[in-house]
Formats: sequence, C-alpha cells, structure tokens
Amino acid sequence: MLRGLLVVLFLATGTFFPLSASAEPEGKLIIFHAGSLTVPFAKMEEIFETRYPKVDLLREAGGSTKMARMISELGKPADIMASADFAVIDKTLIPQNAKWNIRFATNQLVLCYTDTSRFADEVNQDNWYEILGRKGVIWGHSDPNLDPCGYRSLMVLQLAGKYYNRPGLYDQVMANRPEKNVRPKSVELVSLLETGHMDYAWEYLSVAIQHGLKYVKLPNEINLGNYNFDDFYKKAMVKVTGKKPGTWITRTGKSCTYGITMLEDAPNPEAAKAFLGFLMDPKGGLKILKDMGQPPFIPCRVPTAQMKAQLPTVLQKWVEVKN
Amino acid sequence: MNPKKPLDPFFWLTVVCGSVVVAFILLPLIQMMAQPSLQDLKEAIQDPAVRRSIWLSIYTSGLAAFISFTIGTPFAYLLARRDFPGKKFVESIIDLPIMIPHPIVGIAILGLAGKNHWLGHLMHQVGIYVMGTVTGIVTVLTFVALPFYVNTVKAGFEAIPVRLEHVSRSLGASPAKTFLRVTFPLASRSMLVGIIMCCARAISEFGAVVIVAYHPMIAPVLIYERFTAYGLKYSQPVAVWLILVCLVLFLLLRIVTGQRGSKTAAGKKPS
Amino acid sequence: MIRIETLRIELPGFALKDIDILVQDGEFFTLLGPTGAGKTLMLEAIAGLVPITSGHIRVNGRDITHIPPEQRGIGIVYQDYALFPHLTVLENITFGLRYHKTDPQASEQWLQWLMERLGLRQLASRSISYLSGGEKQRVAIARALAVKPSVLLLDEPLCALDPNFREEIRHVLKKLHQEVGITFLMVTHDFAEALFLGERAAMLNHGRIEQIGPVSHVFKRPATPFVAEFVGMRNVFPATFDDAKAVVDDLELDLLEPPERDKRYVAIRAEDVVIRKEKLCRNNVNVFKGKVLEVIDRGISHEVLVRTGTVIFKAMLTKGTLLEMNLLEGKEVHIEIRPSSIHVL
Repeated sequence: MLRGLLVVLFLATGTFFPLSASAEPEGKLIIFHAGSLTVPFAKMEEIFETRYPKVDLLREAGGSTKMARMISELGKPADIMASADFAVIDKTLIPQNAKWNIRFATNQLVLCYTDTSRFADEVNQDNWYEILGRKGVIWGHSDPNLDPCGYRSLMVLQLAGKYYNRPGLYDQVMANRPEKNVRPKSVELVSLLETGHMDYAWEYLSVAIQHGLKYVKLPNEINLGNYNFDDFYKKAMVKVTGKKPGTWITRTGKSCTYGITMLEDAPNPEAAKAFLGFLMDPKGGLKILKDMGQPPFIPCRVPTAQMKAQLPTVLQKWVEVKN
Repeated sequence: MNPKKPLDPFFWLTVVCGSVVVAFILLPLIQMMAQPSLQDLKEAIQDPAVRRSIWLSIYTSGLAAFISFTIGTPFAYLLARRDFPGKKFVESIIDLPIMIPHPIVGIAILGLAGKNHWLGHLMHQVGIYVMGTVTGIVTVLTFVALPFYVNTVKAGFEAIPVRLEHVSRSLGASPAKTFLRVTFPLASRSMLVGIIMCCARAISEFGAVVIVAYHPMIAPVLIYERFTAYGLKYSQPVAVWLILVCLVLFLLLRIVTGQRGSKTAAGKKPS
Repeated sequence: MIRIETLRIELPGFALKDIDILVQDGEFFTLLGPTGAGKTLMLEAIAGLVPITSGHIRVNGRDITHIPPEQRGIGIVYQDYALFPHLTVLENITFGLRYHKTDPQASEQWLQWLMERLGLRQLASRSISYLSGGEKQRVAIARALAVKPSVLLLDEPLCALDPNFREEIRHVLKKLHQEVGITFLMVTHDFAEALFLGERAAMLNHGRIEQIGPVSHVFKRPATPFVAEFVGMRNVFPATFDDAKAVVDDLELDLLEPPERDKRYVAIRAEDVVIRKEKLCRNNVNVFKGKVLEVIDRGISHEVLVRTGTVIFKAMLTKGTLLEMNLLEGKEVHIEIRPSSIHVL
C-alpha cells in the first residue's frame, strides 16, 4: 500500500526531479577536454550517443589550462572537464568549480617526424638528441606555459641529459630551437610536420598514433609514461609562467596522467554522470583509450578515500584509492 | 510661429535602432577599456614583451599596407579603367580573402610554403621562411587586407573622369606621366582611405596569423596568449594599449594627410 | 590639314562607317549631328583616344592613325571643360608645356598673349573650383592652345554654358581662330553655332556622313531629309515631280524651275509657310485652303499646324500675329507657299 503510494508520488513528481536516479539522461552535455583527447572522445561520443539517444554531447577541445580558465574565469558553462594533466584540475578548478579529480589514463612523450624530415632515415632511440642539435634541423614543441605537452617535452630533454649522461644536452638542443618553433598547442605541430615546416616535433604517443606519424619511442626512464619511474621524473624541473606575467612556478616531472572531473554547477549532472560511468567502464571508454595509444588506469584512481566519498555514488564502484 | 509637428513613429524607430547599434558597439569596448586600473596599464606597457608585440603589429600592418599600396594601386587602376573578358571573375577573386574564414587563410598559406610543396621547397632553398617569421605575418596580413585597399582605390579611380586623362595625353603626357600628374594626385584621398582600411584590417587580424606565426607575437596573439596563460585580467591592459595606439596612429595619419590636402587646395603663387 | 580616309570604328551597338573628310589648313570646320550621331567618338578618334577599326587619319600629311595621343599634337577641349581640379588656373594652362621643347622666351610670350586674349591674367593663381563656366571654358581653351597644337578639337564647347557665357565664348572662339591660324574642328548639335562659327560643315547621322559643304550651302541646300530637318526645315515631304510641279499626296506645288533628276523630297521652312485669313486674289500660286489643327507655344514664336487635304504644314507665327489673327484650333485658313521657298532634295 505504502509502496504503491510512493510509486504514484514518484510518477507524479519524477519529471520535476532531474536528480532522480532512474530518469533517463537527456539534453545537452558539454565536455571540455584536452586537445590530445580529441580522437578518443569523438569515438566515445559516437557510442555514448547511440546508448543515450536523448543526450546531445557537445565537445570543446583546447589546451587544458585554457579550457580550465574558460570555466573558472569566464564562467563558461560545462559539465565535464578532462585535462591532459590532472594537476590542472587541482590547481585551477578545485575547490571553487569542482570537488574531485579522477585519474583515468596515461600517455607518454614521443619524438614525431615524417618521411620528408631531415635525417628521417637515420634517427633512432640513441641519436635523436644529437640530430635535434644539428644545424638546419627544425624541431619544436608546444608552449610550456599553455600546454602540458610543452613543459613535458622540456622535461624529457632534461631527463635525457641525465639518462644518457650528457650534462650539456638540454642546452645544446635548445640552442637549435628558435622561439618561432614554439606553438600554442601540440596538435598544431602535426600539421607543421605534415606540410614540411618542421622536421621533428614532440607529441604524445596517442597523437602520433592517431595521426599516423612516424615516431621515436623513448626509454621508460625518460618518456614520462610509466609512474614506476616517477622518482626519476621528479628530477626534471621546468619553470612556467605563474598567475601573472613575470611570476613563475616550477613544474616537476611526473608521469602523464589524465584527470577528469564533473563541475559543481554542471548544467546537466545526470548526463555527466552517465558519461563518466561510460568512460570509466573498462569495456567502454577505457578500452577506446587503450586502442588509441593512451593506456588507461584499470580501474581509475583517486588519491584519497575522502575524495572517493565525494564522488557521485554511481561512480564510486569504478575507482580505487591510490596516489 | 512654429507649430509642433506630430512625432513620426518611423523617425523614432530609426533613432531607437541607431542607439541600439551604437550601444552594441560601444558597450563591450567601454567595459573593456574601463576594466584595467592605471596600475595594470602601467605594468602592461612596462613589459617589453607587450611593447614588442604592439610595435610588431604596427610594423607588420604598415608593411602590409605598403605592399598593398605598391601592387594594389596599378591593379586597382587597371580594374577601374579597362574592360576585359573575365573581369567580373577577377573582381570576385579579389573579394575572396574577405569571405574565407581566417584560419583557413593561415592553413592555406602554411600548406603552400611548406617544404613538401614545390613552391615552399623553392622558398626554403632561397631562404624564405614563412612559419614563425615576420615574412609570414606580413604575407598573411597582406592577403587579408589587400581587398580592402584595392576595392577602395578602385572606386576612387572610377570617380575620376577619364576625360582628364584624355586631355593630359592630348597635351603630350605619356600614360605613365598622366597617371603621376593627374590620376594619382586626384586619387590620393581614396588611397589614404584605402591604406587606413588596409592597416585597420591588418592590425585586427588574429585567426590567420596565429596559425602561421605564434612567435614572434603580434599584439592580438599576445593578448590571446595572455588570456589563455594568465586570464582576462592580464589580457585586457594589452588590448587597451593596442586600441589606444591604433587610435592615435590613425588620427595622426588623418591629420598629416589632411593638412597636405588643404595645402594643394590653397594653390601656389603664379611663377 | 586633316584628311580622314574610309575611317571605321566599331563599338558594341554602334559604328562609325565610311568617314571621309578633308579639313583645310586653318579652317574652322564643324561636325554637326544630333546626340548619338557619333560626333564625340570621331573627335576622340582623331585625338587618338579611341581605337580605330580601319581607315586612316593624316594631319599635315603625316599618318597619325597608329600614333599615341601624346605624340599627335592635337588639342582637345571638352564641353565639361575637363580641367585638372587639383591645379590652379596657371598650372592647368602650363600643364603640357614641359612636353614640348620650344624656345622658353617665345613660349612665355605666347602664353602671355593667350592669357591676355582670354582674359585669364587676373585668374592665374585661382583654384579651378571658384571659376564660372565661361572662365573654365576659357582656361580649357588656353590650356589646349598653350602647346601650339596643329589642330584644336572642340567638343560642344558652348553646350554646358549659360546663354550669356555662350555668346561670350562664341566670340572668343571666332576671334581666336582668326588670330592664331590653327585648324579648328568643332562638334556641335546646334546649327546656329555652326552658322556663326563654321566655314564648312559635315552632317553626321547614325555614324555616317550625310552631307559636307560650306555651312551656308548646307543651310540653303540640304541634301537629305535629315539634314533639311536639322537645319530647321520643319516641312519635309516625299514628292513626285512633273516638270516644274511637285506632287505631295493630293497637292500640287508650283516650283520655280523643273528640278534635277532623282529628287525625291520637298522641304519648306516653317517661317516660309504664310497663313492668311482670306484668300487673296493676287496670283493664286500655291495657295491652299486648310484648317488649323493645333497651336503649339514655342516660347517667342508659335508653331501652327494646318491640315490641307491629307498634308499637315507647320507654320511659324509671332505671338502678336497669332493674337491679331485670332487663330484657334478648327479655324479655316489659307496658306501660301512661294515657289522660291520650296527646296527640292
């Protein structure tokens, strides 16, 4: 009897309670994500929208720091923010705009090139740093101040000096990289490679695979892709611009780890939760990431039990606590 | 006695629409100009990177205008004075850069100037690089601004009666001399307007430039970089400076050339 | 001397055809024709400003057909003056001097004389925009003559002027021509101008020349119906001829003498058609009964249309005569045409 009454009540009020768990997600779902996630997220959008036909997924890609600023400073509405560096979420969005931060995948740095790049036929794991220093070779990376891929590229160079035991390596190589070879986003470098404006460019492995570029894979010690080497990565330090011009903060090397969060004032939390659930499913989003060169964490990770408790209940089953 | 006229509703409609348009343009600009404090503005202009970028913007736009002037003037004259098969087609080609989305302009120029294109290969061999160079910036700015110059000056030439040129020829002046002594001085005002339009268009270009050259940074790219790296607070003062500098420059240009114009009107003493 | 031989100019929708003209040295030649006859086109062809399809133009024996305008030594004055607005009066006049190597003293004298003659001395430093129409036209003439062209082309030089300035420039032109001895070739659509200024004239219609000859001859003996109408013969009728009689529809007109062969028209000036209220019994030659069809106010005079049988005559009366005769539409009148005023074409 009581149950029957509850059902009636539920049916009568259900449409007015968007938070009610069993309502089917619908409407627009806005996701901001790092440029390096464009390809796997496009694939996820395709599958997610067939699963939830009433949801219209709108994605906007850009440098992670920029996208985070759009939310925190311009107040652009978004439901989900996925960053190429999970620390961006910690730094820019928590605590005002978000409460938690899930690490869901990794990546690593590779040195990309094409058939027409100078010395393309001789470059390998052991001589790449020497080639980058050669006169006439044009190589570049993205802006360390705007794109995590940028400062990570510099970290790889610092680590290489230590790993190959060549103390002057970083300075020698950087001397051959005029400022004009620095571009805001790492993905832009791909077209510069393809049109022949550049010979070598630092990219994430995922980008290299997705764009079918040739690449030099680097040892785990320096590629920032394996968290088992985080202690060694820590030795790399890059100064990037701080909160205002003229101020600097130091980024310390650590493995590339993607972070994702749902924003506090998400316009469509129901759909956002559905998407996050899909993303963190080892048979769903994580599998797509794996196929595209961005090895996922299975299961995904949060740093503290406290944070796990702050997650929406439906998502808690997909994460483990591990720092 | 002046009887009060009834208020015409259409007149008021035009006034209301006019106010909306003016407010629509001025409000965001005033908001932005008023946002930074004097301290912010001072800090911004003391930043060498800001000064460099504003100077680079002015310098590259000026160069683009100069190139448009040199190659656009004879071309505009051709379009104004001659009929030839395919003229309509040529005229619509001139307008293309106005219609093409700006990033596409940048992509197209990059694609052509890359080592993988024969032309780019040739350019690289003689040492002309477009990516990340002033050459590249000026190329892009000229591309987007040239139509504004050509169209303005073409209209200026068309307004000059062809009979003046005929008379000059009949008096013994060659076509080149006729152009220099008659057509050019009479079209100088429209050329000035053309140059200002061209400069204004060039200085406001962002989308095409950022693709061809992120570094060295012209002011709009720096403003964008400041916005993405530091946020609104640090991009606004640069924007304000750019607007101020441009306003002053265009004003100066108008004053300087305005004076020259009135001098000719006053006439010289007979010899 | 200008000799134009089998000149042909084809433009989209218009053509000048079979133009043959010989202008004598120092002559004041007028090119007459209605708007759209191709007069200005021909002028610009002589000046070298429009391309020629075929034919030849010679000036003083030199073939200039393919010579650029700046080397032809032919001056041009347009009806809208075409003065350089950015230059002063003096700068306009001296514009062409630097392209003609002459003795500086002689050319200075010539310049002074020209400016004196054209009354431009006081205006030398003025800006063009402050001149009256007549002053502008004088500057344009001085500018063209300053370089001593062998031929001066005038494109309806009086057309854009107020009537009082028109009179002034007309006299200036006539005097100048007598004094400087340069060949003048003037285009006009006003026969009165040609009558006053021109020695000989060519009649141009639809791109063809219909008659060439001394102006008075053209005036008195028009060769074609078009020329007849152009020189003011308002009554032009096709006619058949029988000895000294011309038959126009059902009317028989007595002529002074039998016409030459292959004449096909008669032409009568409106002022030679005399209207009378009563039939006078003097000799009854060419007196016809008719009815007033319409009275049209032409300003100073009135045109009266009189129907006689199937023929409509146009007569010209002063306002005074009109009132005196009390001519109203529908009124019966008699008209008389003297045989001496009937032109046979």
